[in-house]
Amino acid sequence: SSHEHKLNFKKSKEVCLSYIQDAMLQKQWKRAAEFLTFYTESLEKDFSTQYMGPSEMIWRIGTEILCHHSHSSMKEFNSFTEQMKTLGVKRYLKVCLEHAFHLLCNGLIDEAYQNLSLAESWRFGEQTAIQDKEMKLIQAYRGLLDYYSWSKQKTILLEHGQDGFEDLSVEREMHSCFRKAAVNLKEIIKIPGVWDLFVKCYVDLLEFYGDHNEARQVLNEYAYNSKFPANPNAHVYLYQFLKRHGESKKSLISALKILHDIVPSHELMIDFNTMLQKSKKRKKRRLGLEVIFAALDYAGWKENVKAWSCLARQVKQIVISEKHLDWIKQEWNSRKDWWPAFHFSRYLAKRNWQENESLSYEKAVVAGILLGKDCKYFKYVSHQGCKAQVKRFRTLKKFVNKHNPVYLRISG
Amino acid sequence: FVPHRGGTGESWEPADAAAVPFLPPNAGCWVPSLAPQDILYRGVLRRKLRAGKSGAALDFAKQLGHFFVDHPEDAFGSLGRLLHKNFYLGNSKLRREARGSTIRMTALMEEIDRLEARRGCPRQHLASRLRWFSHLCRDWLFEVPLGLLADCVHEELLLQWAGLLFDDSPTGGALAWLPPEDMGARTGRLVYPGGQAMNHLYFQDVVLEELPHARGSPAQFELNGRIRQVTAARVDGEDFVGVRSDYHCGVWRVPGRAGAAPTALQVIRTCVPASCLTVSPHLPGELAVCTQSGAIYLWSVETGLQRLRHDPQTMFFRDPSSWRWSDFTAHPRVLSCADRTGLQCLDARAPERCHFDLFKVGEEAGCQQGERVVLPMYLGRAHPSQHLVTTQFSMYVLDERLPRVPMLKWAHMMKAPPLFAHLTPGGPGRSHKVLLGASPTQELLLLQYRGEKWSSGGGGQSACQLVGPPQKLHSVAGCLQHLPTQLPHRHHLLQQRLGTPAAGLAAALQEDGPQESLLVFQLSEAGDVFCQRLTHKAARPPAPTSGDEGTAAPGSSPLFDAPASSPPGLGSEEEEEEQTFYFPAVALRYRRWLKALSKGCGEPPRHAWPPTLSQKRLFTRKELEAPAGTSALHEQARQRLRQAMREGGRIQRWDPPAPQPPALPEPAEGPDPLSARLTAAWSGDWCQWWEERTSFNMAQRQRALRERRRRQKRARGRRSLSASFTSSLTYQSELSELSDGVPPPLSPGCPAVLPREGSPPGGTPLASPAPHEEALLSSQSLRCRGIPKERRKTLRDYLAVWAESPPEPPEPPGSQASQLCIPSSQSQLSSASQPRRKRPRMGF
Repeated sequence: SSHEHKLNFKKSKEVCLSYIQDAMLQKQWKRAAEFLTFYTESLEKDFSTQYMGPSEMIWRIGTEILCHHSHSSMKEFNSFTEQMKTLGVKRYLKVCLEHAFHLLCNGLIDEAYQNLSLAESWRFGEQTAIQDKEMKLIQAYRGLLDYYSWSKQKTILLEHGQDGFEDLSVEREMHSCFRKAAVNLKEIIKIPGVWDLFVKCYVDLLEFYGDHNEARQVLNEYAYNSKFPANPNAHVYLYQFLKRHGESKKSLISALKILHDIVPSHELMIDFNTMLQKSKKRKKRRLGLEVIFAALDYAGWKENVKAWSCLARQVKQIVISEKHLDWIKQEWNSRKDWWPAFHFSRYLAKRNWQENESLSYEKAVVAGILLGKDCKYFKYVSHQGCKAQVKRFRTLKKFVNKHNPVYLRISG
Repeated sequence: FVPHRGGTGESWEPADAAAVPFLPPNAGCWVPSLAPQDILYRGVLRRKLRAGKSGAALDFAKQLGHFFVDHPEDAFGSLGRLLHKNFYLGNSKLRREARGSTIRMTALMEEIDRLEARRGCPRQHLASRLRWFSHLCRDWLFEVPLGLLADCVHEELLLQWAGLLFDDSPTGGALAWLPPEDMGARTGRLVYPGGQAMNHLYFQDVVLEELPHARGSPAQFELNGRIRQVTAARVDGEDFVGVRSDYHCGVWRVPGRAGAAPTALQVIRTCVPASCLTVSPHLPGELAVCTQSGAIYLWSVETGLQRLRHDPQTMFFRDPSSWRWSDFTAHPRVLSCADRTGLQCLDARAPERCHFDLFKVGEEAGCQQGERVVLPMYLGRAHPSQHLVTTQFSMYVLDERLPRVPMLKWAHMMKAPPLFAHLTPGGPGRSHKVLLGASPTQELLLLQYRGEKWSSGGGGQSACQLVGPPQKLHSVAGCLQHLPTQLPHRHHLLQQRLGTPAAGLAAALQEDGPQESLLVFQLSEAGDVFCQRLTHKAARPPAPTSGDEGTAAPGSSPLFDAPASSPPGLGSEEEEEEQTFYFPAVALRYRRWLKALSKGCGEPPRHAWPPTLSQKRLFTRKELEAPAGTSALHEQARQRLRQAMREGGRIQRWDPPAPQPPALPEPAEGPDPLSARLTAAWSGDWCQWWEERTSFNMAQRQRALRERRRRQKRARGRRSLSASFTSSLTYQSELSELSDGVPPPLSPGCPAVLPREGSPPGGTPLASPAPHEEALLSSQSLRCRGIPKERRKTLRDYLAVWAESPPEPPEPPGSQASQLCIPSSQSQLSSASQPRRKRPRMGF
């Protein structure tokens, strides 16, 4: 009957767990806590090889309950996590990290720092790969906190510096913070992953001390190393860095070009487009048209006035100059079967006119050129605009009527 | 520093204690879906298997047997027709001329019947005759070769079993809410399937009020198959509703203005069951369709179907599931396509070349072993580039721009994989609400997350943040305890009905001035629609803390208790809770629903004839045959049985019984007033009993008094005569017969009614005390029994004496008679017999 007993035990364990879950999902924290105290008995025979054993379960549930329970205090939380840390060796670092996060959320930065450094000094047997990674993470977060105190001291120092008063001790402390932070942050950035936060801080540190080469290298590595996941932010950081340092147009464009390839709908595409439009090279201007067309493909850009005005400006330019109409034609070819319904329906004309007049104007320009004067969108908006006696709509109408043959050439 | 989780989300409190039926129950008798016990082995073999700890055993033989019985034409059609002349199934002997070409199968049939009757018997011996027969005709008797047929049946069984374990056909859910055109309007539309086979599509106008209610009758379309999924999206102020059944997909257009009729636009037919249908939120009349053959189509109402991909293999690693899914992305020409192993994005303009992986089950997303994609969903209404992916363990929020790395991961810990999801986007600065629903367990979770904000200056993306603890919503089955108490079989039926797997999920956001509430609709597989309301707490005055509410005990129905009369046993906090939830309209809704349910399909159809049982399988023919030497008793029983069968009645007791068991109802029956009283109290008319008893006593006393006077008169006149009768033998035999209480032999014709002594037919049971004595003493009754007039007096006297005498005289039947008479005589006749004691007795 020991088998049966074991079965019963398992069953009641599961039932208890489901009760806890039930209570938690209904925000009955007190009830959940009561059940959890019963559940701790399951620790006695924790031979499970499951993905998540009871001890981990207790840790997670307990943390959750303590976060929400109305009567819990920081002290209780601390003592609970201390207990949890001793409960499972494999989880020690994880629990520490979580604990530090909780402390940070409650504004207890110094305690969190202590906690992290304590965790850093912890050693147990042979380190597994996971432990190694977790340790790196802990170091990185400690580095982040170092960075935080560094930047705090920096602002103090700058304020004082304005007063013409220098505090050597503050400065020294700031430098030590920098050193500690830099070492830790540098480590984590070497591992492939998404480390936006750490990279930003690290670059900030390096830039402050004038180590631009190192910063550039870090950013390049972060953006172009194929081991890292394709992270659009990496390119954004690189672009911003380059821009800050007044790099050449060419390098800026190449950075944004890659961003465009990854995320055609990124908001920087407007900057990219304006940059390209100003360029003297035909190829670049062509790319600019491509970029803005591609951006407007996305649902998120549907009502972006800036983007529409960019497109309207460039299309108008091309039409007036009557050069490179084939560019428009090529772009339009792949879009003519769905853009009319997507952007230029009568319903949208009505709504755009009501909600945003300038948006409807820019869109009407594009619609008039691409779809001709009989296009529903153009007709509605220009009609309404003329009725409302807005001057630019009248000129628009004239412009479109004049250049109607262009439409025929584009669509032909 | 911002944590992934945490922060306080918006608080949405359930307004009611349970889900409320929203529409009348789905008409038509609902056929319960397949249950595991229908196809699993039961009995000896299963026990054996369980002992061996193997998995579920499918009852293959039974299914095959069912097939043979249900479709004999398909199973044995042609050979049966050819051979039916040569097989004889009757009982009588074969005629001589037929004997040469005909086989009598009767014995074989009996053998089979017996086999069936003794099914599960461990000592079941294999009949050699059967073995011989099956050996002979296995090869030629069956229309379809047996091996092939068995393969098919087995395959189907496995399919059914897999479906029972996890059925992905309702993925996406068959319930859709079409919101009103502007938020101020209160009339939206609910699209749901219904009807007996769930093949009717309804568009119902719904007015959002305190308790949402349907307005007018729904627009109805009859379709050609069970509706699996209903999906909707709004483009340019018009709603497009896609409907998927196994082999057909259709699209309807619903104009935005209220009251406009929906129009069917197009229907496509697939030769493999479709597994997914999604409506484009970008372009009117565009849908994505997937079939189980691994094909993904972009379906435009104007231009028709465009196949984007056809790959029976899964994308990232091998998985046997043929389930495919597809949804739209931020780019109207780019579709996401999914199978159990992950998600990819395809460009419809160049599907072969342009694609990238959006999500891959594996280490990158920190997946667990065995984790599979269950439902992807485009979250375009919250953020144009975000997607939701649920697996059986977790949910992920992904961003197209940073593929493969989830923005958010959360282990949902639901018992069944979430097949339904619904997004209610929050405005700027508000959290987005995601509802996850599971099918078999009816679980429903509400999550809130805050999407990234475009930070214009910094140009960074921050990960999503899950806000507030997840919240569990009421399941349909949970409202059982709030329904009025039912009879057990009704309760069971109701339980079954309410516990059917969920089939869909929809939600409507209702803004009523400052008060915001979320209405969650749930559809069950039986076609019932329930709804519940969540109110946004910021807009509510501080409500009682929902911290430690006790769940209502099953059976108690707080919705039906008037607030004033809530049971005193409940805790005070709970009482408060119930009161805030109390809605008379809700209670009314429940009642109405229940009534409609019991009217529609609660009662099984009654047959005009009483249920019959075949006795064929109980006995073999031989056993039924009349044995050679039948006694009269046998004959009598047989006769009665026949008669009962003719009349369609029942035989309640098998008479004539052997001499009655000595302590039959008598002692419990009449004499004991306490038990009579208890009986009366039990049956509820205790008051009446009391009244009757008092009046009865009065009447009895009067009668007894009168009797005594008369007797005394007579005694004075005939004293001499009485002395001459001394032979007491006759009395004794008479007496023993009378007091024994054995009823006169009943006529064999009426076995049904058993006249029991002392209980007047149809009378109240409490009138029984001592009519026995009374009957004995009254001259009429004595006359009835054919006792000569002269002897009656003697008998009476004798009885009177005997009744009051102490049990000294060794009467042969005494033990029983005294038991019978003494209590009653003491209680009722005491007044009558008291004075007689002083008189000199007749000599014994």
